[in-house]
Amino acid sequence: MLHKYRWYEYVLIYAGLAVFLTFVLAPFVEAFVVSMRPLTSLFSIPYRFITDKMSFDAYFTMWENVPLLWMYMLNSFFIATAVTVLGLICIIPAAYAFARFEFPARNSLLGIFIAVNMFSGAVLIIPLFKLMQQYGLLNTYFAMIAPGTAFVIPTGIWLLRSYLVRIPKELEEAAWVDGAGKIYTLWRVIIPVALPGIVVVTITAFITAYAQQFIFALTFNSVNELNPLPVGLFQFFGRQNVVWNELMAASLVGILPVLFVYVFLQRYIVAGLTAGAVKE
Amino acid sequence: MGELQLRDVRKSYGQMEVIKGVNLDVDHGEFIVFVGPSGCGKSTLLRMIAGLEEITGGDITIEKKVVNDLPPVKRGIAMVFQSYALYPHMSVYENIAFPLRVERLAKDKVEEKVQAAAEILQLTERLQHKPGELSGGQRQRVAIGRAIVRAPSVFLFDEPLSNLDAALRAEMRVELAKLHSDLDATMIYVTHDQVEAMTMADRIVVLDQGVISQVGSPLELYHKPRNVFVAGFIGNPKMNFIEVTGKTADANGVTVTLPSGADITVKVATKTDVAGKPLTLGIRPEHLTLGTAEATIEVVPNVVEHLGIHTVTYSTVDGAKATFCSVLPGSAPAKVGKPVSMGLNGADCHLFNETGQAFERQLSLEDLDAADMHI
Repeated sequence: MLHKYRWYEYVLIYAGLAVFLTFVLAPFVEAFVVSMRPLTSLFSIPYRFITDKMSFDAYFTMWENVPLLWMYMLNSFFIATAVTVLGLICIIPAAYAFARFEFPARNSLLGIFIAVNMFSGAVLIIPLFKLMQQYGLLNTYFAMIAPGTAFVIPTGIWLLRSYLVRIPKELEEAAWVDGAGKIYTLWRVIIPVALPGIVVVTITAFITAYAQQFIFALTFNSVNELNPLPVGLFQFFGRQNVVWNELMAASLVGILPVLFVYVFLQRYIVAGLTAGAVKE
Repeated sequence: MGELQLRDVRKSYGQMEVIKGVNLDVDHGEFIVFVGPSGCGKSTLLRMIAGLEEITGGDITIEKKVVNDLPPVKRGIAMVFQSYALYPHMSVYENIAFPLRVERLAKDKVEEKVQAAAEILQLTERLQHKPGELSGGQRQRVAIGRAIVRAPSVFLFDEPLSNLDAALRAEMRVELAKLHSDLDATMIYVTHDQVEAMTMADRIVVLDQGVISQVGSPLELYHKPRNVFVAGFIGNPKMNFIEVTGKTADANGVTVTLPSGADITVKVATKTDVAGKPLTLGIRPEHLTLGTAEATIEVVPNVVEHLGIHTVTYSTVDGAKATFCSVLPGSAPAKVGKPVSMGLNGADCHLFNETGQAFERQLSLEDLDAADMHI
């Protein structure tokens, strides 16, 4: 398609982008600026973005004030990773089955999966709590990982299924003719070809898991050492005052793993990985 | 060895029957081509032989073993797909080695077989490349390579050349024919391109709406089509059909009356009484001549194509079922709008009854072969 934008169309497009980016990025900028300011000048009136004595001190003192901070970050990362890995183990075969096999109630099952997704985790917190209590699973990593996994699976299946149905059927037929079984085909042919789709699912699952762990940790866990970052951040809320600058510094550092995962994985979302498979 | 039998093979999807009882015997080493218009069931039939489609009825026998319920790999077949179906993440080497890896063959054996296949297909230089870096013809050769490493008794090709451009297709046609003689294997080849069918086949199977319309050598189908469908399908441009009325029948053939009132005697064998019956006369465009002949038809060309070697005219004629086409020598003085009289000879004509079945022509195929030899 050959289409050249006019100058005012460019202006409109960039203006629109600027508005959205401002909304998305402003909190981060604010968090960063707050983390740099000394606590005393945080509530200056009138409000000022730049104040005297700005420094990175908070990034060092936060580790001393909350000694377990690194543990919380590690927990967060561990829980999100575990949820993602376990989720993928369920999502990949399930999505493949939904994409390729004919079986009774296939479409209604898919419908149920999306319907389950409409419940927010919060609605099920109390029944889940009772369950965990019954089986003595409270205050374990498992209590935070299992529900998280259950919630990333439906979206994952939907995402990956729509990617898998677009993979040419001939690839599987060729493998079948060559004597490969279903599992072998899935492992050696489908998964490598579907890698970009799987990466998208991985990122979504990881981010979802990272975001949703707060509610599960808050309810199912009271052991400080097992807490993920969002719960751990409460330690910055003192009796008299909130250590805002350190809180913001810790939050920003806590985001880094997600950012890291994203940057690392997005290299694999390359167009044209299927190039040459079949003639389009 | 690679013999194949189809016995009353059927396939239905729900109420719709797409393959309606196909019987076919294929000898070892034969090159069989399935042709037919789209939707005639030729690909379905091939996929049934491959084991990719279940068969609803009948038996498929490969090497004297009924294979109806066997998976493809146990049938001793290999298949080449229209879309190549190469694994994009694997190198050419791994693509060709894939069936051997599945078998868990020892490494040195794999190496040996892949190298041998690459040699035959001139892919040795390309073994470390990914399919995405290859041209269409090379990709198709990789797909063929993947088929030949298994040394199957029957090769199945599903329109393997239809994605290639014309020049490459002609080249690959020759390569496939050579491969067939080198490998001494049975090949079954599906195409809608009759040039491929005519040039490569030992025998052609013409399919029409799920039944075999005719099986025969390319020249047999050309010279002795059994019905109107085969007559119209084989040959390019298509055979012209003219509505005629039967007059008399004797040892010389059947005499019919053309719409113009002229009589012509077609050299066919007949026992039935044809007098007064509506029949269809078939004449191939390349058998029409300019000027005097046993009978003539006046036509006014609508379109004239000058191809240098030939001049092709298209006209509308009374009694003809579609556009009346003629292939004349390149020097023919044909012009749009200028009436021409086309001559036809009884010996070149085909004759079909009301149900579209052909009267057998008084022509022996051995004579045709002999004639070819002399040329």
